[in-house]
Amino acid sequence: MSADIDAVLEVDTRVDLAGIALRNPVLAASGTFGYGSEFAPFLDLRKIGGFVAKSLTLEPRVGNPPPRIAEAASGLLNSISLENVGVEAFIHEKLPAIPEGVVVVTSAFETEIDRYAEVCRRLTGVPRIAGIEINASCPHVKSGGIEFGQDPQVLRQLVRSVRRATTLPLLVKLSPNVTSIAEMARVCEGEGADGLSLINAVQALEVDVERRRPVLANGLGGLSGPAIRPIALRMVWQAAEAVKIPICGIGGIDSAQDAVKFLLCGASAVQVGTRNYLNPSAAQEIAEGMQAWAKGRGITRLADLVGTLEMPRR
Amino acid sequence: MPAADPSAIRILAEVVANCCEGGAHHRLTLRVPGWPGFAPGQFVMLSPGPVGAVPRSDPLLPRPMAVFREHADERGPCLEVLYKRSGRGTHLLAAAVAGESIALVGPLGSGFRAPSAPGAALLVAGGTGIASVFELARTLADERAVSVLLGARRAEDLMGEADFAELHVNLEIATEDGSRGTRGLVTDLLEKRLAAEPGATVYACGPTPMMQRCVEIAAAHGAACSVSLENNMACGFGVCLGCAAPRTSGGFALVCCDGPVFDGRDIVWSQLP
Ligand SMILES: Cc1cc2nc3c(=O)[nH]c(=O)nc-3n(C[C@H](O)[C@H](O)[C@H](O)COP(=O)(O)O)c2cc1C
Ligand code: FES
Repeated sequence: MSADIDAVLEVDTRVDLAGIALRNPVLAASGTFGYGSEFAPFLDLRKIGGFVAKSLTLEPRVGNPPPRIAEAASGLLNSISLENVGVEAFIHEKLPAIPEGVVVVTSAFETEIDRYAEVCRRLTGVPRIAGIEINASCPHVKSGGIEFGQDPQVLRQLVRSVRRATTLPLLVKLSPNVTSIAEMARVCEGEGADGLSLINAVQALEVDVERRRPVLANGLGGLSGPAIRPIALRMVWQAAEAVKIPICGIGGIDSAQDAVKFLLCGASAVQVGTRNYLNPSAAQEIAEGMQAWAKGRGITRLADLVGTLEMPRR
Repeated sequence: MPAADPSAIRILAEVVANCCEGGAHHRLTLRVPGWPGFAPGQFVMLSPGPVGAVPRSDPLLPRPMAVFREHADERGPCLEVLYKRSGRGTHLLAAAVAGESIALVGPLGSGFRAPSAPGAALLVAGGTGIASVFELARTLADERAVSVLLGARRAEDLMGEADFAELHVNLEIATEDGSRGTRGLVTDLLEKRLAAEPGATVYACGPTPMMQRCVEIAAAHGAACSVSLENNMACGFGVCLGCAAPRTSGGFALVCCDGPVFDGRDIVWSQLP
């Protein structure tokens, strides 16, 4: 009898994110999932929507001196400074190690607009790469991320330039460290971005009172984890109100219910970040949990949840 | 010791026992179905507190803990962890009762390597670092002379002494206040033993100044010295890049996967946090 109900109530978990077909809306966030294969012992990479690889620069990059991480209340502070293997090593060494059938989104980061575009050109046409996410939002690199994502004029030039450099589905990952996320979202939409990802880590500072110094060697860092979830929900909702292109919601997602909250606020898909470190099986558990959540409520299509939040109008 | 260290699983481990052994010291026994075994020096990441649909968010990070030793009972493989109740994570760990689940990822890291030279092994440990060297002492004692030198501020800060006393090793203890063993630093014991056994290989795990001193003493005697670093970690398996330690050859090593065991000469001690 319950088997009958199961058969009737299959949940359609498929979503389209900016032209990338996903079997379910749960991806793993850039910088929290390595280059993918590190997680193969802990989950079935084909059971999650996909993952965004660590942000890539033209050349390999070494990160900041330690301490690079600090625990905060319900959060993690980091100043890794985008240590990565570089775009060529990713294409030739990391990508072939990822099992077939896994959706791989790449992330590009650079210090100048031309270099961003060059990273995008190198990624375009490489088999297996489903799309590019532009990390315009890294909150801890003095020369890079923050300026691109914080100034609407600079962001406009960046998106225009990378749009010309690639035919792949293009997501722009926005910084939360801005006054108006709606303005930044409109800039990206206007320049032809296919979708938006938000939010990146929130610029933050933790202090060692005895030493009267920042806890992180770099001084400032980026805050991630459950502490930023309500901020992320607010920004996703505001961005969704402002643009028509799809949104990938990120920030403190720990559970299936958290992921559903982002869908209600207008995200078509989500990315799990910090929780992957704490539970390397989390992304799959959340994907399966969303399906079970929907099933328990008679919801047959996860995509039907998108943007159905009833916000009181003033 | 096997050529390659066993690789990690993630599982909800069952608390078999979690006893206070005096002061702030605790011994946690976990039943871990499917446990692949471990190499001496490997560790696990433990997340006590709620598991399941809504996981714990504060404190957020799991805590790295050396595997003290393993055994099997009629219901399967178990492992033991010795820890000191000090911060929020270890307080939460101390609150776990038998029958509860603790999320475990491990075994992680690359462990100790057997000495390449034929001589004695000198194991120096202090603080919670004591837990990291027990299995090393046990396995090395099968094949060579092993001395274990344990250090602590006071007698009550020593953990696991009774366990080491059961091994076939020469056990020496130093406390800073003289309340147990020799009064002074454990590194003074190392100086003496190394003078008596010039061909020995040194292993050290404990507070950074202790390990740094061990590396210096070993170098002065032309002895090899492996250290096991204890770092803050978020993931424990090489993806957060948070556990970086500066390398003598430039750049950074990841303590969780390139280590936690390193050749003492490969680390820039002055730049460790
Ligand atoms: C240690 C660390 C490294 C990160 N590296 C990147 C990165 O390389 N590129 C990027 O776009 N975002 C990076 N992020 C940001 C995450 O992708 C994500 O946007 C952020 O952590 C918020 O999500 P969460 O709260 O689920 O972690 C990083 C986050 C952390 C904690
Ligand atoms: S603790 Fe995450 S990389 Fe080492």
